[in-house]
Amino acid sequence: MVRLTPKWVYALILVVGGMFVVGDHLTSRSMAGLGAPGDLGNACAPCGAPCRDSDG
Amino acid sequence: MTTSPALTTTSPTAPPPTSPSAPTEWATVLTFGVLGLVLGCLVALDTGLRGVTLFTLGGALGAVFIGFQYGFASAWRRFLVAGETMGIAAHFLLVGLCALLFIPAAGLGLAATGSLAPVSVSLLVGAFIFGIGMQLANGCGSGVLFSFGGGSGRMLVALPFFIFGSLLGSFLLPTALGWGSLGQMAIAGGASDGVRLAVNVALIAGVGGLFYVAGRRRGQTMPKTLLVGSGVIAALCWLVFVISGNPWGITFGFTLWGAKLAAGLGVPVDEFVFWQWAGPKRALTHSVLADVSSLMNIGMVIGAGMLAALGGALRRQSWPSGRQLIAAAIGGVLMGIGARLAFGCNIGAFLAGIASGSLHGWVWFVMAMAGSWVGVRWRPAFGLPR
Repeated sequence: MVRLTPKWVYALILVVGGMFVVGDHLTSRSMAGLGAPGDLGNACAPCGAPCRDSDG
Repeated sequence: MTTSPALTTTSPTAPPPTSPSAPTEWATVLTFGVLGLVLGCLVALDTGLRGVTLFTLGGALGAVFIGFQYGFASAWRRFLVAGETMGIAAHFLLVGLCALLFIPAAGLGLAATGSLAPVSVSLLVGAFIFGIGMQLANGCGSGVLFSFGGGSGRMLVALPFFIFGSLLGSFLLPTALGWGSLGQMAIAGGASDGVRLAVNVALIAGVGGLFYVAGRRRGQTMPKTLLVGSGVIAALCWLVFVISGNPWGITFGFTLWGAKLAAGLGVPVDEFVFWQWAGPKRALTHSVLADVSSLMNIGMVIGAGMLAALGGALRRQSWPSGRQLIAAAIGGVLMGIGARLAFGCNIGAFLAGIASGSLHGWVWFVMAMAGSWVGVRWRPAFGLPR
């Protein structure tokens, strides 16, 4: 039986994570170039939170 | 008195990536290489050279962070517990070097913007919570990521909970923004680029200098690894800034991963206010490789993992005690929520905020340090040394 060492768990996460990334990439709208959330809209913070009236 | 040995190792969570006696884990190195190549090809097809460059820079940052064992949480803890200040002085050196490019970017003709965010109640609360979390988890935004990449058992637990907390934070942020805000506040904001740069660099040098002088008076010295590490990381941050148009950030990528996973499980993520804002909405509907933060995070894990495997460090990893894993989980959730409420972590808010001349970065620093003070006192309850 395989002992559940950090290396095995890490390998499992990498495999699942790699499949998630590739799967998401192939099923998402992805031909729009690279972006960051703060680039769009009336962003007042790097995460894309919009400026409120009080934020000036 | 000279520098304590602990000062040279800023991240206690990951074993040193290289050891003279540890053989290289070639199969793992090859696996990381193949994974990096496959993802790199997908990135190249989609976002071209810019995407590949940022992906590679993420890998380089992962390798540099784990190679230099460059961490924030442990340096802050040693300051609070033992009065060791050189780690924080090195952090301000890194911030100051970044400011030299970030603040005058517009004047230099770079189509890049700094990292400004509101000085708000959510910032105060979020940074404080983040500070507690980073001491319980034994790592901050960058520390969790590169130590995870290095296979740290503690971070294998902390990172998923960080992602979960970050998603929760995204649900909370719209409400938290209503708690009160002074808006964005740029230090010397009305002045010319030159004056802004001079004022901010003087401020950064003044505070960093205070930490340095305090350390010298106690007989501490600045380890060369910290000096060189700060310089190399600053150079990589400059490249990220110029190429991406924004300062380097980590935690939005975690939030995005959490949202994608939750959406996959049937949670109506897109109905929450945060995910209806233009930037997050775009990220949610596009590939995880089309968001700069997410893309660089993936690169960082691969870079750190590859260096750890080259040094034979992955096989040396072990599980901490159950109580310490609980602390890692709690710390991860707190950091995730805190990072969203506070507009970033030690990289996106502290480093990028201060280096961009934004007051919110300084507020983040003070509040996260206060939270760290609390977190350090909670550590023994989880079997962690102060």
